[in-house]
Amino acid sequence: MTATPDWLLARDAALCPCGCIGKRRKGSYVQKTLTGGADLLRQVMFSDDTSSAAGLLQRVEPRAKLIGLLGLVVAGAFLRTIPALLVLYAATLALAAASRLSIGFFVKRVWLFVPIFTGIVLIPATLSVVTGGDVVLTLWHWHGHPEGFTSQGLTSAGLVVCRVAASISLVVLLALTTPWTRLLASLRALGVPRMFILVIGMAYRYLFLLLGSVTDMYAARAARTVGAERHDRGARRFVAASAGALLGRTMAMSEEVHQAMTSRGYRGDARTLAQPRPVVRDLGFVAAAFLFGAALLVGERVLGG
Amino acid sequence: MAELGSVAEPILACRGVRYRYLDRFVALDGVDLAVHRGEKLALLGANGCGKSTLLKILDGLLFPDEGTFTAYGEPITEDSLEDEQLNAGFRSRVGFVFQNSDAQVFSPTVREELSFGPLQLGLSRDDVTRRVDDVLALLQIADLADRAPFQLSGGQKKRVAIGTVLAMNPEVLLFDEPTAALDPRTSEWLTGLIEDLAATGKTIVLATHDLDSLARLADRCVVFSEEHRIVASGTPAEVLAQRDLLLQVNLIHQHTPLPTA
Repeated sequence: MTATPDWLLARDAALCPCGCIGKRRKGSYVQKTLTGGADLLRQVMFSDDTSSAAGLLQRVEPRAKLIGLLGLVVAGAFLRTIPALLVLYAATLALAAASRLSIGFFVKRVWLFVPIFTGIVLIPATLSVVTGGDVVLTLWHWHGHPEGFTSQGLTSAGLVVCRVAASISLVVLLALTTPWTRLLASLRALGVPRMFILVIGMAYRYLFLLLGSVTDMYAARAARTVGAERHDRGARRFVAASAGALLGRTMAMSEEVHQAMTSRGYRGDARTLAQPRPVVRDLGFVAAAFLFGAALLVGERVLGG
Repeated sequence: MAELGSVAEPILACRGVRYRYLDRFVALDGVDLAVHRGEKLALLGANGCGKSTLLKILDGLLFPDEGTFTAYGEPITEDSLEDEQLNAGFRSRVGFVFQNSDAQVFSPTVREELSFGPLQLGLSRDDVTRRVDDVLALLQIADLADRAPFQLSGGQKKRVAIGTVLAMNPEVLLFDEPTAALDPRTSEWLTGLIEDLAATGKTIVLATHDLDSLARLADRCVVFSEEHRIVASGTPAEVLAQRDLLLQVNLIHQHTPLPTA
């Protein structure tokens, strides 16, 4: 047997002998990225839970749901008044409730995105220097003229916020009530090529595997790191080396996946299972969505004069 | 593809097969092997001795640098597999369960995964749906049908990986380290399944260095040396009786108690 070196037998104290406790530092961007990745995984798992609940939208065939909700998004894009958009938004809340989604979670998920998509664009547009009109809140004066938020600017901003909120609500409804894989497959109904869907599906599937590999690599490094992590050249080198190692693993994995496909008769033209035919209920949902969208558009024109 | 040969003829045969990775690293060095219909054959050897490479050659995924590989009397080469009929005939008769289930379970859901092989072979969608349902029931994984692979445990993924091959109903099943990294219950289930499949007349070829289950998994063994050559063959009892040989090829350690065959 190989002799064990002396240093391996020595019992070093891991902590400082004086018993002091070192400084604490915030996690690095690598750690944050990994935590974000793990959160994503949890979110996807959670969304699978909501998509298997026995609610209204979960019962609708994904293709019908995709077409129906997309129709409502298009209708929302043509609505020109805030009340009409609020009706559409209220309808999404009703659909969420009927689909057994937690309204608090649903609203939070939507309003998390709204400021990102609208905030940067809208704030300047509410000011009189961009959108002229009646100033309702004066912020400063320019050559004796009051400048600030205009009612026209605020109305335009409100319109955009309502439209974005309604559209995102419809997309979130679709995402939360449909398993991702079936949603992807339903894109065939919109004419997306089968090979494209196959590749996206595999990319999504292996994303989780790679995420697991990255988490393991980082954990293995963290387990052997003594003291606070540093953000210097060494840290950057670790990230670059990990990326390289991951690329190597990805290449090896992709070769083996291709072999596994070839072994089962794949020759470049993948065949996939057909989706079940839509039933009356599904067609009814599409018709109801289109009728509701049309009613909103017509009602808005009639009532708006 | 040619019609099936006579009973005595091997269905898969390698003659003088040599294979090197990247033209440098020898994986197989002059291997002769014949696989007969209905037998359970174990490829025994230490890590890196070339077992997995040989299985990939037997499945027409790698091609020898030297020597020949024939299946059902037909030479299997990169060129010959371009023939659509031969390709379909060969792929439908020989199935391969990879050691790494993650490589084999690549579809978004278990149901789609099980349907992939039969669909590529041109079966009708109704037949495929029926087969998939049967395989789900046989492997007791019906509750996983619409689950995504990342939601499965290692044992569940192994069941799905085996299901993907069973759904194609091949005559020959190749297993690469089937019981490696499985918990005892799953390992026992898989050993039982391999016995059952063999009892129905399937030909089983498996690579392993697990000697404990050898008597159940195989009725013939070939032993690889660490020099990538076949150095012995015989029944599990005959092979397990050769302690010096097993020591020499690194299948056991001097302190390892040998299982009784």
